[in-house]
Amino acid sequence: MFGPSNQLLNNLLFWVSRKKWLITTFFISITIFYLPTPEGLTPEGHRTLIIVVTALILIISESIPIPAVALLILIMEVVLGIDSPNGVASTFMSDAVFFIMGSLMLAVAIVHQGLDRHLALMIIRLTGNKTWRISFGFVGVSAIMSSFIGEHTVAAMMLPVALSLLKNSGISIDRSTKISTLLLFSIAYGCALGSIGTPSGGGRNAIMIGYFSEFGLANISYLDWMKYTYPMLLIEIPLAAAILWYTFPPEKKILDSAVRKLKVDVTKSGPLNSDQKLSIIVFVFVFIGWIFLSPKIGLGIVALSGVFLYLSFRLIEWNDIALRMNWGIVILFGSAISLGIQMKDTGAANWLAQSFLEFFQLFVSDMTIVSWFFSVVLCSVMTNLLSNAATVAVLGPIVLDLGIDPVIMGMATSVASAFAYLTIVASPTCMIIHSTGLVRSKDFFKAGWKLFIVSIVLLFLISFIYWPMLS
Amino acid sequence: MKILIAISSKKYSSQTLDVGMSVAKAFSAKTTIVDVGDKINQFSLKEVGVARERMESWDLDRPGIDVLEWAFDFLSENEFIEKNEIESGFPKNTLIERGGRRSEVFLKGTVCDDVSLILRNGEIIEELISEVQKEVYDVTIIGKSQNSKKDYELSQYIDSSIFIVNNYKPDRNYKVLLAIYELPGIKKAIKYSVRIAQAFNIGIEIITISKDSETVDNYKPIGEWAAKFLRRNKINFTTTFEVGDAVTIINKKADKNHILIMSSESSNPLKTFFKGNTPLKILKDTQSSVLIVK
Repeated sequence: MFGPSNQLLNNLLFWVSRKKWLITTFFISITIFYLPTPEGLTPEGHRTLIIVVTALILIISESIPIPAVALLILIMEVVLGIDSPNGVASTFMSDAVFFIMGSLMLAVAIVHQGLDRHLALMIIRLTGNKTWRISFGFVGVSAIMSSFIGEHTVAAMMLPVALSLLKNSGISIDRSTKISTLLLFSIAYGCALGSIGTPSGGGRNAIMIGYFSEFGLANISYLDWMKYTYPMLLIEIPLAAAILWYTFPPEKKILDSAVRKLKVDVTKSGPLNSDQKLSIIVFVFVFIGWIFLSPKIGLGIVALSGVFLYLSFRLIEWNDIALRMNWGIVILFGSAISLGIQMKDTGAANWLAQSFLEFFQLFVSDMTIVSWFFSVVLCSVMTNLLSNAATVAVLGPIVLDLGIDPVIMGMATSVASAFAYLTIVASPTCMIIHSTGLVRSKDFFKAGWKLFIVSIVLLFLISFIYWPMLS
Repeated sequence: MKILIAISSKKYSSQTLDVGMSVAKAFSAKTTIVDVGDKINQFSLKEVGVARERMESWDLDRPGIDVLEWAFDFLSENEFIEKNEIESGFPKNTLIERGGRRSEVFLKGTVCDDVSLILRNGEIIEELISEVQKEVYDVTIIGKSQNSKKDYELSQYIDSSIFIVNNYKPDRNYKVLLAIYELPGIKKAIKYSVRIAQAFNIGIEIITISKDSETVDNYKPIGEWAAKFLRRNKINFTTTFEVGDAVTIINKKADKNHILIMSSESSNPLKTFFKGNTPLKILKDTQSSVLIVK
């Protein structure tokens, strides 16, 4: 084995081999720092773009932990003289961050209640035993539920339902089959397309609402958001189900015995207990609060009120929340929003938007559709490579500055960030189904590209036909 | 003595287990079997954890446990371990978090003192290096990867001897090919060769390589020591001397019927990082199973 000094050197070399991107990012940042500030960009804007480049590379490469990237953003904002420490702190915390934090806490509290068995019973009562109906039911129920309580919560609850059905039908659940792929993708894609439905469907929706309000562009309430996005969600459910059915035609068309066994199994768990009933009631109150109270007190405060009730009624202990919450994501979202605001304030977002417009105006005169495609395609590609909320936080201020109806551009960007169909890392939901070992990496692209194109076409039609009627 | 056997799937791991347990028996070593599952993206770590908790509440095993369960049964069926079924054992397959991304697995209703089962998630090289650093293993045994860069990196950075199982078939007539081309650490390699030869009941071919004819005499004492040691342990052996480049000579000599054993070169890690070393260069092209003794 290695001697002590060789061991130290070897560990150091191993660290270097694993942190190539961190080292590369450092040199890229230094290089950009010493480049002359482009014409039309302020020095502060120039330095803000250094942070954007640094953060994007570090998030995609995962060469350091995500919370460390989040902290680095805040540190760089102060050290590079973009804002004062208090200024950075005030841009870090907002109602959107409260909302993301509250929603994640609510998600933990809801999953904790063990409602998944009742959910399973509800689904199989609705769908019966035909595989296509079960798959359709999974897409539909996942989409509708995830539009209210967040995609990964629904995926965590739906996953055992699907795996139990597979196990009960005698299908091996330690290797990928077409039916396992079909059912798991029904959950993942259902959750992804459902997340556009309401602001509570995903943190990125709240971020965009925050930008609309922060930049004085519009006041979009919970219900307003639903008016914009819910029709698209409902149209996409059958489309996604059909794409999945024809991409992964299952070996078994009927899951008769599996459904019967599952019914017997979940019926044994008995009716809803008092805690489960109370937790549903609390969530309904939160939902009503989002609709009626959020214009006055904000989405975040309503979500935190829900968490307060869950804790007060002892429906969940704080330790459970603390242990299961993804705090790193909350910090990252706060930092990403802070960076977005700095991009707007320093003029970096505007400079990027104008540079884009000047370039494309050389080729086309009407920039509306080009800008729309640029925003939507860039956002949906980026969302498949890094966090969708971080994508919206960074791209949001740029697309809102493109000079086209900001509500349409903002909504389209936010919706496009849900098209996380192509890669495993696109969203926690994709990672959840992949972590079962029943879905191969290439399956994501196999079904994903079809739904990706259908979603973009549908979003285009909705953006230019339906949304103008609302504004 | 502690041995770590890294497995990946039921389809490809039986050779590794077979060789690994034979070696472990020869060394009377405490054995740990580790399965490293896919890396979970940092954005999804907690979410996947919550989903897995829900799976457990439905009595559905986490991915990876099935592989360890299969490995345990494989060892029991092939009489490498004695599996005891007890009523007071865990009522279902149970994972105990041991910090970081490491969990110890206890299979339903069984006990076995000889083997520990570990489940990890992450990038395989990082996880194995971390496992070796944490638990201080003497030998790590792993199947040859299709991606030769992985074997290269693992051999370079892991702080234990490493045995890479390649093209192993139990019915083939094997011989140990002990390569002596540098002196530091070679006695340990000779001792390991004896144990491996005893484990598989096979003979040893010693090949001593000197860079040039002037340094041949430097290797004579160790050659004599090796011959004496092997005779004392009643191992059949042959010896040959070669002059030239160690990589070329060993690559020419070693084939599928050999288990190649060599000591890790004592060169500076910085030099190895940029230029590689003899074992790493051999590892790239060899068809043999290879044990690099550190």
